[in-house]
This record gives sequence, C-alpha cells and structure tokens, in this order.
Amino acid sequence: MEPGDAARLGPGRAAWALPPRLLLLPLLPLLLGRGLRAAASASSGAAAEDSSAMEELATEKEAEESHRQDSVSLLTFILLLTLTILTIWLFKHRRVRFLHETGLAMIYGLIVGVILRYGTPATSGHDKSLSCTQEDRAFSTLLVNISGKFFEYTLKGEISPGKINSVEQNDMLRKVTFDPEVFFNILLPPIIFHAGYSLKKRHFFRNLGSILAYAFLGTAVSCFIIGNLMYGVVKLMKLVGQLSDKFYYTDCLFFGAIISATDPVTVLAIFNELHADVDLYALLFGESVLNDAVAIVLSSSIVAYQPAGLNTHAFDAAAFFKSVGIFLGIFSGSFTMGAVTGVVTALVTKFTKLHCFPLLETALFFLMSWSTFLLAEACGFTGVVAVLFCGITQAHYTYNNLSVESRSRTKQLFEVLHFLAENFIFSYMGLALFTFQKHVFSPVFIIGAFVAIFLGRAAHIYPLSFFLNLGRRHKIGWNFQHMMMFSGLRGAMAFALAIRDTASYARQMMFTTTLLIVFFTVWVIGGGTTPMLSWLNIRVGVDPDQDPPPNNDSFQVLQGDGPDSARGNRTKQESAWLFRLWYSFDHNYLKPILTHSGPPLTTTLPAWCGLLARCLTSPQVYDNQEPLREEDSDFILTEGDLTLTYGDSTVTANGSSGSHTASTSLEGSRRTKSSSEEVLDRALGIGDQPVSSRGTRLVFPLEDNA
Amino acid sequence: MERQQRFMSEKDEYQFQHQGAVELLVFNFLLILTILTIWLFKNHRFRFLHETGGAMVYGLIMGLILRYATAPTDIESGTVYDCGKLAFSPSTLLINITDQVYEYKYKREISQHNINPHQGNAILEKMTFDPEIFFNVLLPPIIFHAGYSLKKRHFFQNLGSILTYAFLGTAISCIVIGLIMYGFVKAMVYAGQLKNGDFHFTDCLFFGSLMSATDPVTVLAIFHELHVDLDLYTLLFGESVLNDAVAIVLTYSISIYSPKENPNAFDAAAFFQSVGNFLGIFAGSFAMGSAYAVVTALLTKFTKLCEFPLLETGLFFLLSWSAFLSAEAAGLTGIVAVLFCGVTQAHYTYNNLSSDSKMRTKQLFEFMNFLGENVIFCYMGLALFTFQNHIFNALFILGAFLAIFVARACNIYPLSFLLNLGRKQKIPWNFQHMMMFSGLRGAIAFALAIRDTQSQPKQMMFTTTLLLVFFTVWVFGGGTTPMLTWLQIRVGVDLDEDLKEEPTSTQEANNLDKNTTKTESAWLFRMWYSFDHKYLKPILTHAGPPLTTTLPEWCGPISRLLTSPQAYGEQLKEEDVECIVNQDELAMSYQEQATSPCSPPAGLGVNQKASPQTPSKDNIYEGDLGLGGYELKLEQTPEKFQYALPTKGPCQNLCKHTHIYLQRHHSDFHSNPGEKPLTRKRKREQDRELGSGKSSSWTEYAPGKQPLANPLLGDLIPLRQGLDTEKY
Repeated sequence: MEPGDAARLGPGRAAWALPPRLLLLPLLPLLLGRGLRAAASASSGAAAEDSSAMEELATEKEAEESHRQDSVSLLTFILLLTLTILTIWLFKHRRVRFLHETGLAMIYGLIVGVILRYGTPATSGHDKSLSCTQEDRAFSTLLVNISGKFFEYTLKGEISPGKINSVEQNDMLRKVTFDPEVFFNILLPPIIFHAGYSLKKRHFFRNLGSILAYAFLGTAVSCFIIGNLMYGVVKLMKLVGQLSDKFYYTDCLFFGAIISATDPVTVLAIFNELHADVDLYALLFGESVLNDAVAIVLSSSIVAYQPAGLNTHAFDAAAFFKSVGIFLGIFSGSFTMGAVTGVVTALVTKFTKLHCFPLLETALFFLMSWSTFLLAEACGFTGVVAVLFCGITQAHYTYNNLSVESRSRTKQLFEVLHFLAENFIFSYMGLALFTFQKHVFSPVFIIGAFVAIFLGRAAHIYPLSFFLNLGRRHKIGWNFQHMMMFSGLRGAMAFALAIRDTASYARQMMFTTTLLIVFFTVWVIGGGTTPMLSWLNIRVGVDPDQDPPPNNDSFQVLQGDGPDSARGNRTKQESAWLFRLWYSFDHNYLKPILTHSGPPLTTTLPAWCGLLARCLTSPQVYDNQEPLREEDSDFILTEGDLTLTYGDSTVTANGSSGSHTASTSLEGSRRTKSSSEEVLDRALGIGDQPVSSRGTRLVFPLEDNA
Repeated sequence: MERQQRFMSEKDEYQFQHQGAVELLVFNFLLILTILTIWLFKNHRFRFLHETGGAMVYGLIMGLILRYATAPTDIESGTVYDCGKLAFSPSTLLINITDQVYEYKYKREISQHNINPHQGNAILEKMTFDPEIFFNVLLPPIIFHAGYSLKKRHFFQNLGSILTYAFLGTAISCIVIGLIMYGFVKAMVYAGQLKNGDFHFTDCLFFGSLMSATDPVTVLAIFHELHVDLDLYTLLFGESVLNDAVAIVLTYSISIYSPKENPNAFDAAAFFQSVGNFLGIFAGSFAMGSAYAVVTALLTKFTKLCEFPLLETGLFFLLSWSAFLSAEAAGLTGIVAVLFCGVTQAHYTYNNLSSDSKMRTKQLFEFMNFLGENVIFCYMGLALFTFQNHIFNALFILGAFLAIFVARACNIYPLSFLLNLGRKQKIPWNFQHMMMFSGLRGAIAFALAIRDTQSQPKQMMFTTTLLLVFFTVWVFGGGTTPMLTWLQIRVGVDLDEDLKEEPTSTQEANNLDKNTTKTESAWLFRMWYSFDHKYLKPILTHAGPPLTTTLPEWCGPISRLLTSPQAYGEQLKEEDVECIVNQDELAMSYQEQATSPCSPPAGLGVNQKASPQTPSKDNIYEGDLGLGGYELKLEQTPEKFQYALPTKGPCQNLCKHTHIYLQRHHSDFHSNPGEKPLTRKRKREQDRELGSGKSSSWTEYAPGKQPLANPLLGDLIPLRQGLDTEKY
C-alpha cells in the first residue's frame, strides 16, 4: 500500500475538476461550439487574402461538420427516446408489465451503441500534443497563435498519460459521450426535484421515522458492508493477480457509497399502476429519494477523505472526522438552502397576488427552484440535495398558495422534464456500454459486486426493519421486508456518480460494474416485480383512500405481540414526541406564515408580537375566519382534541376500534379541505392510536364539514 | 509540491464552476425580479412597460453593477502560445504541461485586435454567453411557440397579405436599409471616421437583413390585452413570425455571398448562388419542419397514445425538437424548420392530441417561450455593459435609426397599397400607421447581430442593433397605448361582435375588378384548402371526410387504411346528426350567398361569429370560408358534408358558435338516436317549438340585442326574434 504519484489523483481528482462553462448551458450542451460557422462564413465574405481564405474555409468546414455531428448525436438520442415512447405506449396499451420504459430505453440504447461501435468507420480526431514547459499549471482558456491567427481553446479535462492514444479513436463515439457533469447539472435536478415535489403523500409523513432510518442508517450500513466486501474481493484479485492497477480501501468505500443509491423507479411504476400497498410504496419511494441524497453527499465526503500523513490511504482519525464533518456540513447546508428557497417562494407567492397570472407564477416557481440548485452549487453544497429538499418544501407550503392552474402546470412541467430526463439517462446507459471506450471488465470484481450489493441490501433492510418494528405500531411485515430487499434496484444516481470520474483504473472498473449492475437489476428485478408481488402475497389494487385493512392487519399483529406492545408504545411515544412538536409548530406557525391556511397567527402567537402576526397573516385567513367561523373553530377544537388525546394515549394502551372510522371520515373531508386537513391527517397518521381511542369525537365535526 | 500545485488548479476549477453557477444565478434573480415587477405592473394595469422592457432595464442595472462595481480580476488566458508546427486549428488540442496532459477544446477564433481587451474583467467575460446558445437553446422554443399559436382563423384569412409583408417586405426593407447604410458608410469614410474598405456593401446588406427581423412582442402583448382589432393583430403577428424566418435565411445567404474575384463587386454567379441558397435553405427547412410535424400527426393519429398524456406530450416535444436538430444536421436552418413545424403541428397534430395534452403542450411551450424571451431581453440589457468590444459610432447609429424608419415605411405603405387593390377588407390608413409604428426590433435581430462580432463592422452593427432594440422596445412599446387611441383603432373588440366591421367592408368589396384580383389570388389558396380538407386533414387527423369518399376508386385499400375509424360516420351517428344538419345549413346558406354580390364578407361574418375558442376542426371552415367564399357553393354539397365533422367535441363547439340554437337539440337527439338528418325547415320548426319550451335557457344566447346586419345570419334573425317575442 505504498501510494505512488498516480495514486494521489486516485480518489477522483478529475471528478471534481469540473468543466467551468458547463453550468452555463441549460439544455443543449452538445450544440455548442459551432459559433464559428457563421463567423467564419461571414468573414469569408470580407476576406481579402487568398491563402487565409483557404485556411478559413477548412476551419469553417470543420466547424460546420462538428456542429452537424453534434446535432446528429443529439438527434440519435431524441429518436431513441421517441422510439422508446412509442414502444412503451404499445406495452402499456397491451398491459405488458415485465419491461419498464427505462429498461426499454436501455435496450434501445444498447442497440444504437452496437451500431455506433461496429457500424461506423473509425475516424480519428485531429489531436496534436503540444509541449508547453513555460507554464506550471493548466489554464481554463488558452490562446493559441497559429500562423498569425489567434484561436481560443477551453479546457476540457485532464487526460492520464496512458490514455492519450485512446483519445484519438472514433470521432462519432466521442460525440455521443457526454460530459458527465451534464447528468448532475441538467438531467438529475429535474428528476430529483420531481421526486421531492411528488413526495407530498400522507403516507410519507406517517412513515417518516422509518424512511429516515432506512435512508440514513441504511445507506451508511450498506455503504460500509459493500465497501468491506469489495475490499475483500480486491484483495482476492490481488492474490490471483488480476488486478493491474491500484485499488484502495477508500475506493472500495466510494464504490459502496455510489452503489448504495437505490432507484426503484421500475418497481415504483408497477406499484403505482397496480395500486400496491401504500405503506410499502411510501417506504420504498421515500427511502429511494432520500437515499440518493445521502449517497451523493457520502460519496463526495469519501472523496474528500484525505489523510494528512504520508500514507494517504491509511486510516487517519482526524481525516475521518473531517469527512464526517463534511458530510454533515454539506447535508445540512444543502437542506437549509433548499428549505430556505422553498420558504421564500412560499412567502412570495403568498404575499403577492401572483396567482392571477399563472404563467408568471409558474415561471417564478421554476426559477426559484432552479436558483436553489445554483445557489447550493455556488456555495459549495450539493445542488441535487438542495433541490430535493426544496421540492419537498415547495410541495408542503408553496403548492398551497398556487392557483389551481399553476398547480397543474408545475406538476405537469416537472413531470415532463422528469420523464424525459429519466429516459434520457437510461438510454445513455445502454449506449455507454458500447460507446464508452475505457471499460475494464473484471469478472471477479463484477461477481463480487453482485454478491456485495445483495448482502449489503439484506444487511440494511432486515436488521433495520427489526429495530423499527420494535417501535412501530404498523409492523413492517415479512413480505414487505422481502419486497424491499428485492427492490434494491440501482439506477440513474449510481450511474451518474460512477461516470462522474472515470480517470483512474479503479474508477473505470467501478463504472463498468455499476453499469452491469444497473442493467441486471432493472431488467431482471424490474421484470420480476409482478411475479414477486403475487408470490409475496402483497395486496394490490389498494385504493389509496381505503387503507384501513393494513391498519387492522398490523393491529392484529400488535395485539398478538401482547407484552411487547407497551414497550413499543413507549418507544413510539418518544419518537412521536418530536414529530408532534414539529407538527404543532408547523400547523400553528409555519403554515399560517407561509400559506393561506391554518389558524391566523394572531391567535397562535403570544400577544406581544401581535403587530408582526397581523403583518404576516394573510388577509384571506381573516376573511375566512368570520364567515367560516364554525369550520375554523372545528379545527381549532380538533387540534385541541388531538393534543389532548396525545396526552391520554399513554394511559390507553391499544384501542384500535375507532381507527377505521376516523381515517375514513378524514378521507371524506379531504376533498373539501385541502390544506388544513393535512395537518390533521398527519397528526392522525403519526398518532394513529391516540386518535383511535377518541375516534368518535373526531368524526362528528369533520362530517359536518364534509 | 506537485500536490499543492494540483490543489491550486483544483481550487481554480472549483471557483470556475462556482462562477458558472453564479452567472446563472444572476440571471435567475434578474428574471425573478422581472417577474415580480411585471406582476406589480400588471396588477396596477401599467402598460407602458412590457415584461421584456422590464427585463432589459434590470439587465442594464445589473450590467452597470458588474461593470463598475466589481473588481476587475485578471483573466488567466493572457498567454499566447506560438505554434509554428500547426498549419490549421484542430478541434481538440492536447497540451502537455509539466507531464500532465490536458485536453483543450476549440472554442472560437479571435481577431487580433480583440486579444488585449480580452484580458480585462473575468466576470464580464463570464457573463458573456456563447452566441450560439441563442440559436440553439433560447430561440427555438420562442419561434416554435409563435408557430404553434399562429393557428388563428384570422391568420389564414390574411395569409396572402402576411406572406407579402413577410417575404417582399423583408426583402424591400433589407435592400433599403442596406442602401441607406451604404450611403452613411460612405459619408463616414469621407468624414474620416472609417477606413475605406472596412465596410463593404455586403456588410450593409447584412445589417439590413438582420435589422429587418421585426419582433413586436411588446405591441402584441398590449394588443392582446386590450383586444385590439383582430385583423391588425393577425397581420402584425403573422408578419413578425414569418419575418424572422425570412430574415434569418436572408442573413445567412448574404453572409455566404462570396464573389470569386473582387469580394465586393457584383458577381452575377455568386448572386444567383446566394439566391439559390436562400430558396434552397428556406424550402428545405420548410420541408423538414412540416415533415416532422406530419410524422407526429400520423403517429398520434394511428396510435392510441392519447391514453397517456405524458407520453404524448413527450413525443410531441421530442419530435418537434428533432425537427430542429435534423435541419441543423442537414445544414439547413433549424429555427425556420421549427417555425413551420410549429405551424403544421398546430394545424394537424393538435387535433389528434388528447385535451390534456393540448393543454400541456400549450402550457409547456408558453412557459419556455416566456423564459426564453425574458432571458434574451435581460441579456440584451446586460450586454450593453458587459460586452467588451462595443464600437459606438454616432453617425452610424443615426443612420441606422433613419434607415429602419424609412425602410419600414417603404415596406408597409407601398405593399399595403398594392394589397388593398386586391383585398376585400382594406387595410385602412390607421392600420398602416400602426403597422409602421410597430416595427420593433427584438430577439432575432439581436441574436443575429451577436452571432458574429469578430470584425469591426460587425461590432459596430452589434452596438447599433442593441441601441435600436432598446429604443424601439422602450419608446415604441411604451407608446403603443397612446398611439392606439391617437389612431382611433378599436380596442376591446369582443371576438363575437366582429360583425360591426361588416357593413363598411361590404361596401368596399362590391367593386368587381377588385374581386377578380381577389379570386385570382384566392384560386391558389382555394386549391390548397380543398386539397387540405379532402386529403391532408383526413389522412393526418380524425377530422374531415373519410378518404374512401374523396380518393378515386383505385386506391381504395390505401384510403381505407389511412382513414381513421372515427372518420366513418357509422359509430358516431347520433352526435353526427346535429353537425350534419348544421353542415347542411351552412352549405345551403352558402349557396344562397353565392347569388348575392357581397358574399365573401358574409362568409367572414360567419367566421367571426365563431369565436376562436372553437378548438380545431372548424378551421376547415375558417380556411374555406375566409379565402374562397365562392368555392363552397361549387364543391361542398350537402352530400359531401355528410361526414365532414364526425367527431364530437369540436363539432358541438361549432354548433354552439355558429348556430347556437342547435345546442338546444342536443339532448333531444340523444333521446331519439335513430333520427335521420333533418331538413332545414323541419329543423327550424323544431327549433321554434323547442325555443318556446325552453326560453329561459335562451336568454344567455339571445343575440337579438345586438344588430345583426349579416346577410347569412339574416335568415336566422326572424327565428331568433320570434323566439324573443315568444319569450317575452
């Protein structure tokens, strides 16, 4: 383990050496660099010298050719997507469920990749290697004086010396190879934002504790287990002599981190279509969304792990804690950033009457959400994570302030963006298997990785579920656990993280392995979801509005456990205490401040800040207050009830009788009360039991409203 | 040591990337500010500043701040390497810097005198976009949206005039501006402000062509808000949209005009090559755009994609984008292709989409258009200060101002005069003045100017263009409302009460020789519309008569294959009935009209009666009625109309808008579905009965209050009045 010079750039030096101008290009990163077509052609009209005209003509032609190739390569992708859409329609039309659109996109990508790889003539790029000794570092832009003319060059990336020859390969293959930062700056943000924006499901908040546990603890567990297993595999490979370059423990951990980002989009789509159990859906969806955020930050903090001493790959406590600090810092920073912009958007939409102009409102919403990303990136946080939390906050607060039209507009806009971006990434994955030119296939490593991800997933789901079941009232059933274990698909995020840095040998091997894992999981596991669902006896066709059956089931389990329940309750109570606090705070202060719903602040805030409260309370709340006195008072009353019942529930151990009626009546009132009901809902979700004991009291006022 | 160095470089790149984020963030904030300000303005009904104007103001302020408030950090690219080894500039460059190989990508060529200012402010340099972004990212959605929302009945009514203004007008304007500017350039050479030989006539023409792209987005927004006369709106909108396409292609063909010997002497071969280029590129782009739209239409027609609006929207978006990319890949102009793709999509594909997708696509492109437009205008404001190679030349700017006014006048007034000879509905003087006034310059002119700022003349042009855009957007845009009142142009025109216009135009239309001119020019359009109606619409959409009836016998299998099952009347018998009856009436009334001399305006009257909300299929009538009032009587006999409008929704709309009373029958027909198409008389009788029965529901439609001078609707008046009397 003697670190050489090349090893120092091992943990992704070039990965974070980001091409500078990239963020500038919002949509069509490929179409750039054609600026000279018109330029050269225009100047050719005025050109006086013959010799230079010839030269210019050559340059112009080349530039035009390059632009044309750019267009063709982008066109390839778009036609691929078009084809995917049409095939998917056929599949959906015929109700074929074994192949999801993402899987299909990958297949088409593969086919085109094969064609590009073996069907196009290999033209070599015009690369010239210059030796410049007068400078000791690379500049971002370079002016080159070529026979009296000045040309500007921009830094594209660093090339390890061994790869110089392979750069001059197929021009077309190079054209269809994107800058990996495209994924992080253009394709992933809408996907992640959409995930956050559509998280606003009651069941998500009901299972928040479990989801957080799976996402944070689970990802960490899985990362470490995969990392350790892979380290074993690497050692083995070294023994066998299959390893031709260095591979350190941090690399293994990095691999663990990137491969821990699950992306069960295929499974979720099937769940959604079949209306599988909502709790399971919420658990999986929530886990996968937060998972991605954790994995990104985790991988970047592993990269940032740089021990101070000579041995850069030995364990160093200081560096380790620094990495942990970085993880926490980046995560909380991104979280804050996202939440703050979400809150600002909510305030802006609340206090302006922007909802008269849905277009302006939508544009503002979009720009603010995008600003989150940019702001986080500019501050050195992780934009994708910030965007995720921004999405959640937007859904929770801003969404309530938007006009009806803007709501559907924003939803549809991000849906379209998400759909396009996702399929784009997956078809690129298929393409990359053949067009990426630095694959390192190592069978031992790949087999080891397959074993490791299953073990990692198992070591993540089963123990955590066991611990969570101790505290949960709705137990996570064995079939749910199996299903979650099964749904450990890898997708866009793992791929994007892996492709971000493919400079070193270890990273290339990781990338190849990740690609294969994604293929395997999406096709095999994704295709096996429907059989698995029926085999595991998971209820399908659950109307989200009638979820009492699982409640009953789990209550039976709970009653069967008998003696455990008291202890479980206490654990629950403790964890619920935090959420109760948060929800009462949210309902009493945040919701009224940020949205038009909730009780007016003047009633919830103490008297001494009355002026501020009056200022912040939207006039609508007051308007509502007089004519809708009854409803408001109902809610205030029920709120009171809730808090009361929370207090009571410690006494009553388990009364499951009324829960059914309570939740159904809530569903009934859901249509009439959009936002204020959610508070109740959530409060109910978390404190199911207390409500159930007093269920009858809750039902009546709500039914009056409905 | 080495490591530290790498650290530095890494840090450098970090900073770089963050600055990339910061730049975009600046734009985002500017846009957010603009949106909020615009909301304030809209809320208070200030109309003197449009959102684009606001975006420019904010851009200017930000540019000022960036220019004078930031510390000028040195840009790193100062070093110039001499490479004697290289004979030409390769696309990628591998540079070996102390054993580390870096890959550099070719960006652009820099003319010699730009190297020094290049070393100035790094932030300013950062805030400068690659001009190709405008052409590849920002403009396509704007142009596509324009094409996609062109589908207004009035557009097709005024198609001839719009095409004339767009093609001839742009050419005239280009040449006039070019000539005037050439004069000014000569004057500048005399005055010693310019070296002789720097500024050629082709450059002047280039300036003329880029300056010919009008973009009256500000004016149109105000028109839209105030409901200004629709004909005027359509003329302006259609002109500006097609104008852009023409100007782009024209600019390109001028820029490739390269005579063999003397680069600035007239060379017939090169000239004709340029002309050929213009025609080729224009036709090619047109074909490419419409081909993609046709493919989309066919795909949406023959798949049941409408079950999944998301997929449908995705497909629509991707195929429209493909049109752009294919055109670019084929060496054509993507923007022009996208424009015609948009027009065709709106004409055919739109009818096949599910209602959800219709909304989605409209909103999506509206949104993209909004963002793109504001980004461009914001950037314009910014560019005035951040662009580092401005050349302000007072004489040239003055000349340009003069030239665009003269050119606009030369474009509008003579063409309007010529058009008025042939038009039934004259373009009155106040419209002409308004069109003259609305010669704003906007995004396209700017994008064309910024595309090439290498040589000195081009930089001068860019600066001038920028100033012209500022001036026109602020002054003209702000002056629109006063101008409207001063010119006494009707505002607040409700789409349904367009009939007021009728009497005057009827009188004018009486003139026979004008009518013949009209029919001649309309002949082409009539051909096209009957072709469109009989073949294209049935092939590409679910509307129109089934192909089996319109195509000759021998291609029976093909026609059966291409006709959508919905086009056959059988399935939708009950719903059809109303429309068929309605159709009969329309056709018959047209036959009646044919005898009266003033029929075409009457046709227009029918059109205007139908409000534009009527979604799609009534476009057939719009076109038909608007352009060839005569041919209907010849071809569209009741039998042919049997299947004319088989689908349900639009049909009902048509019924609602043209013959409102038919709606009352809807429930009636559903109750006895076997009923055969009624004759007109029976129908009317039934109406009377029904109307008397349900007079309460008539109140909202009762048009008896407004004067109905329309001869076509004349025969309905007694009925309605009867109903009214019955009601009271």
